[in-house]
Amino acid sequence: MPLFVSLLAASGALRVASLNLCTDEYLLLLARPSEIASISRLSRDPADSSLWRVARRYPANRGSLEGVIATRPTLVLTMGGGGRSSEAIARRMGLKTIDLPFPASIDDVERNMIRVASALGDAGRAARWRERLSRLKKSRRMAQDAIYLTDNGFSIASESTGAQWMGLAGFDQRPLPGGRATLEMLALHPPRVIIRSTYRQNQHSLGRAWLAHPLANNARSKTIWTDGRPWTCMGPLMLTEIEHLRRKG
Amino acid sequence: MTSLQAFEVALDRRLQPTSLDVPPGQLVALVGPNGGGKTSLLRALARVEQAGGKVIIDGEDLDAAPEARRRRLLSFLPASRDVTWPIAARDVIALGLDKPDEERIAELIALFELDALADRPVDRLSTGERARVLTARALASRPQLLLLDEPLSNLDPYWVLRLVDIFRATADSGRTLLIALHDLTQLPRFDRALLIAGGRIQMDETPAELVAGERFGQVFRIREDAEGNWEIRQAADRQSSP
Amino acid sequence: MRLFLALAMLLCIAAHLLLPLAPLREAHAIDPELADLLLVQLRLPRTLLVIGYGAALGVSGAALQAIFANPLASPDISGASSGSALGAVIGGYWLGLTQPLALAVCGAAGALGTLALLVGLAGRRADTTTLLLAGLAISLAAGAATSLALALAPSPFAFYDAFDWLMGSFVDRSLSQAAAALIPAGIATALLLRRARALDLVGLGEDVAASLGLRPRQLSFEVIALSAIAVGACVSVAGAIGFVGLVAPLFGRRLSRGHPGSAMIPAALIGAILLALADLAVRAVPLDRPIPVGVITALFGTPLFIWMVVTLRRRLTA
Repeated sequence: MPLFVSLLAASGALRVASLNLCTDEYLLLLARPSEIASISRLSRDPADSSLWRVARRYPANRGSLEGVIATRPTLVLTMGGGGRSSEAIARRMGLKTIDLPFPASIDDVERNMIRVASALGDAGRAARWRERLSRLKKSRRMAQDAIYLTDNGFSIASESTGAQWMGLAGFDQRPLPGGRATLEMLALHPPRVIIRSTYRQNQHSLGRAWLAHPLANNARSKTIWTDGRPWTCMGPLMLTEIEHLRRKG
Repeated sequence: MTSLQAFEVALDRRLQPTSLDVPPGQLVALVGPNGGGKTSLLRALARVEQAGGKVIIDGEDLDAAPEARRRRLLSFLPASRDVTWPIAARDVIALGLDKPDEERIAELIALFELDALADRPVDRLSTGERARVLTARALASRPQLLLLDEPLSNLDPYWVLRLVDIFRATADSGRTLLIALHDLTQLPRFDRALLIAGGRIQMDETPAELVAGERFGQVFRIREDAEGNWEIRQAADRQSSP
Repeated sequence: MRLFLALAMLLCIAAHLLLPLAPLREAHAIDPELADLLLVQLRLPRTLLVIGYGAALGVSGAALQAIFANPLASPDISGASSGSALGAVIGGYWLGLTQPLALAVCGAAGALGTLALLVGLAGRRADTTTLLLAGLAISLAAGAATSLALALAPSPFAFYDAFDWLMGSFVDRSLSQAAAALIPAGIATALLLRRARALDLVGLGEDVAASLGLRPRQLSFEVIALSAIAVGACVSVAGAIGFVGLVAPLFGRRLSRGHPGSAMIPAALIGAILLALADLAVRAVPLDRPIPVGVITALFGTPLFIWMVVTLRRRLTA
């Protein structure tokens, strides 16, 4: 394997390492197998990534540039800054780095997709994904009052990317004071829809126990379950999830 | 009328299997060296520890008696004067009764001259005052058998005499008392004396005979001289003891 | 005095149940049934837990002090509370038990373990120093183990629960949680109260108690087991709360004229009132972040504890 790697590196072929769970998504969706040098180890965990099966085919890294050097990447993807030392090392090694911004909107996600696809040599690789997104946008329906409910009543900001994705699925995330729903509020002003996440469903915590309270399970709200894993990054994988939610809504 | 019959009570190495028969109304003194078994005998009879054998009080088997009956049958007073809780003297005495009985408590307070101290917490009494309170507690339920471990220790002469008066009166009313003593000056007022050493009863006589007996001197390593005063036995003499 | 206490407790219950009034009024305005829903599903479990937990702490504190013959024994100092937290955390986060009753059992088991360890280390009739040191050592160890268990638990959110487990919280508890805690605690407490007379007699010393037909050793084990169940079940739902089990019996004995066993009932009332007041204080503080109720109990408990140690010293050296 090492010989192959050095041959590839020598041949100047494109090899991309992704240091972050969220950039992993772009890479796994857009790159060919031979183009993937390394994926962050979080993506291999079924609890954290819906692409874990695919991710396991590739070497894992712990999110630092030093860790991926052995896999001889030519391009490194980071999000939210890879750290100054990483930049310095990358420059000295002649590695290209792309630092994707945290998506503040669905448009940002689309822009990231285009950028990564271009870096891989063909912006057209993002076309199918963009088509699906555009179809969803065109068929946008009336949004119902909804709350995305997680441990201890915490929710997502009504201006966030996640809320925009919810909007695309037909759910209008209610603005909540402190970003949190109280049991009183759920009892007095129940939303039409409560969206619950299956993320780490069997792992107990007090916040999880809160969700079992009778007042958090009001029959007057319709509860819809979503795969919580794509919500961590609110990135391109959300598209599939939103398509599912559309059908359930 | 009561009597005490004990069969083969024992406590590992501290008390060898001992049997004892005490007719009603007897005031019995237990004397002996430290660690000789006086306390062990009292504890065994009071069933403070598992001591095997049988203890029959007035025809009733102590082990078979229900808890409610125990207070009527016997009362045990340990040598220690320590108290944990700051409870008023009168309330400590009340613990000796199973039902509140103001008359009885008042009677005991008067008998033990505790009037001024009745409402003071026992942890703030002197050792001697505490001793009186605890002894009053032991007498409160008018038990048939009283087992008292060194009740006269640390008391001033007035109270030594007073307590023996009270014990005498109690015996005269038909009840039985076994009392461990260190100070032998009061011995003549008892009906019977047991010398306990090495975990067994070595002598069982009247007080006068006990003190005059050879065994007494051997056990305590003292002897009477020509004038009738006590002195320490010399080493040479002690060789002759078994 | 007892009448006053009972009235005070009723007042605390009413206040704890109804304050703050605004949400209830708001609910009533929308739909009277909603106000009832809030009262029953949200307020009632919290009030029941506060009263029940406080009473359980008072009773078990008094009982433990009676059998250890030491006014400083208590569920927190003996390590029982921390042990309960450890048991409940292992059960919930590691063994994956979610039923409140199962967690109550784990809490009780934890308390039993730490109390057994205390008896093994310090003996039953230990002097104050030994008891304090052993109990505190066990308490600290169990607390640290609880934090560790949370840090290493499968769920990455577990560690943030440490505060609630080690310092207590009554926020947003449900009726089923309250039942899981209070039914076992209630039974255990009732059984403890039946031993009031026996514990009074043990106050005369174990020897005297034995001569009266009691079995001190058996009684000790009974008290330890029942205290473990009462405290363990409550901790499994609301976390470990300190000082109430130490302070309530102290005042309880004032009302029982010093008798350790008869102090249990007044200690129950006082414990309930103290915990209700502490939780009311928590709710009254206008922060978005909740203050753990254990912080409030520590605030009033610590000066009292120090005072107790000082007077104990004075009494011993007098």
